[in-house]
Amino acid sequence: MRLEAVGKRYGVRQPWVVRGVSADLRAGQLVRVAGRNGSGKSTLLRVVAGVSRPSAGKVTGRPHAGYVPERFPGGLPFSGREYLLHLARVHGLRGPLARQRAEEWLERLGAAGYADQPLGSMSKGMCQKMAIAQALLPAPGLLVLDEAWTGLDQAARGALDDAVTERVAAGGTVLFVDHDPARLAGREDERWSFDGAGGVTVLAGPAPSAPAPPGAQRRETVTIRLETADSARVIGQVRAIDGARVLSVDVDGPVANRHVVDRPVVDRPVVDKPVVDGNPGA
Amino acid sequence: MTALLRYQAAILLRSHRWIFPLIAYGLLITVGAAGSTSLAETLDWSGAMLVPVVAFLTRAMLTAEPDAARACVAAAAGPARAQLATLIVPLGGGAALGAAAIVFDVLTAEAASKAPGSGLAGKVTAAAGHPGIVAAGLLIALVCLLVGSAAGALCNPPLLRHRAAAMLSTLAAIVVALAAGVSPASAAISHTTAKAADPLAANWPGTGPLAGAACLLAVAWGVSVLAATRRDTWSVSSE
Repeated sequence: MRLEAVGKRYGVRQPWVVRGVSADLRAGQLVRVAGRNGSGKSTLLRVVAGVSRPSAGKVTGRPHAGYVPERFPGGLPFSGREYLLHLARVHGLRGPLARQRAEEWLERLGAAGYADQPLGSMSKGMCQKMAIAQALLPAPGLLVLDEAWTGLDQAARGALDDAVTERVAAGGTVLFVDHDPARLAGREDERWSFDGAGGVTVLAGPAPSAPAPPGAQRRETVTIRLETADSARVIGQVRAIDGARVLSVDVDGPVANRHVVDRPVVDRPVVDKPVVDGNPGA
Repeated sequence: MTALLRYQAAILLRSHRWIFPLIAYGLLITVGAAGSTSLAETLDWSGAMLVPVVAFLTRAMLTAEPDAARACVAAAAGPARAQLATLIVPLGGGAALGAAAIVFDVLTAEAASKAPGSGLAGKVTAAAGHPGIVAAGLLIALVCLLVGSAAGALCNPPLLRHRAAAMLSTLAAIVVALAAGVSPASAAISHTTAKAADPLAANWPGTGPLAGAACLLAVAWGVSVLAATRRDTWSVSSE
């Protein structure tokens, strides 16, 4: 999928909200769209999702898209379940598959018990879950999330994180806006940064100094000595533990697998000083 | 497209926005039937009254879906197709109303024959004896249906988003459609006065108004669909 010099403005005499955005979106790419309020993020996301056409430039090769709007007011005269069934058909799902996918996503987002309520009487978070579910129903090749996490409970936020990871792993392209810098931190392939004047800078890789996730300020440094025949494998397993970061590794004996200072890893907490041999440096 | 039509039709039905146009049309054709002296004149009237009813039914549909919900559907199926479905559903609803009105007119209007049989069966037989009158009524209804839909599409969101401006211009468009000589609807129904002297003559509107109405509809829908795909303003609230 490709954006060529895409621009959007709300009327011929109006200023450009976004202008001159060119980018290639590859399969399996996760893109964070960042910028201040009102800088044009939502506008560009709508153009990328195919909700509105650009005023200038063009978007080509768009896969089937799922779009989650910023806010999803319950103004439709349906229950959540009915809405999802309608949207599943609009997405092109047929017969029992539509119902099956709807139930699957209601379950995953923790909304199955509330899905028979009218959309109009649902809480903000529950409405948001319906909007998220409809976008995920068709396993879209392009998923566009405009602050989709806002208003969700902890479990649903985790479920959405997982859904994004799955889409990316399955070769989907995911664009998201979220004002929590820790959201999917370190996993982005690209960051699109809005300068507030309609310009967008495309940066490769995750943010260089992603702030620590909440709760990361309290840390404990633990020294474990263990014996193993395959230190590389064990260290790999320790690194994979969620919430733990390997600060340093010192292997006695053959130096083949010796790692003195570990490289930064995903979800790293703020570290004041490097730690060597398991002794806290500060 | 079927899924989009089902979705939009469900919104229209479940939101009860069809009730006002239905009641209004019921009243209008009842009054018209009471005041007319022949089947042809009654059919003329019920056709003409489709213009305001379909225009407001179209407005009801165009304002029923919140922007955020439309955005989800537009991403899934394309904004043009989503808008087209939104315009087709009230047109279909208007067609159903028009068809029902013709049946009502045949059953209740002054008999089409000078020597009517007794009761409903006699009226149906009399109407069947003058198929030209019913066919002309159908054609007039069709022209007015298209003109009403065009008026609704032109004067409402996404082309005119301001609520008061949209309502007033819809009303103005209806008046123009029924009164101005250039309007296909007006051209189709103005034969009434010429033929009223002969109650058995069909008020055949000719194909000119139908072609004009079809062109008007194509332009109005085209502009509305284009505006929907380029969508200038967005809000989260529905009207």
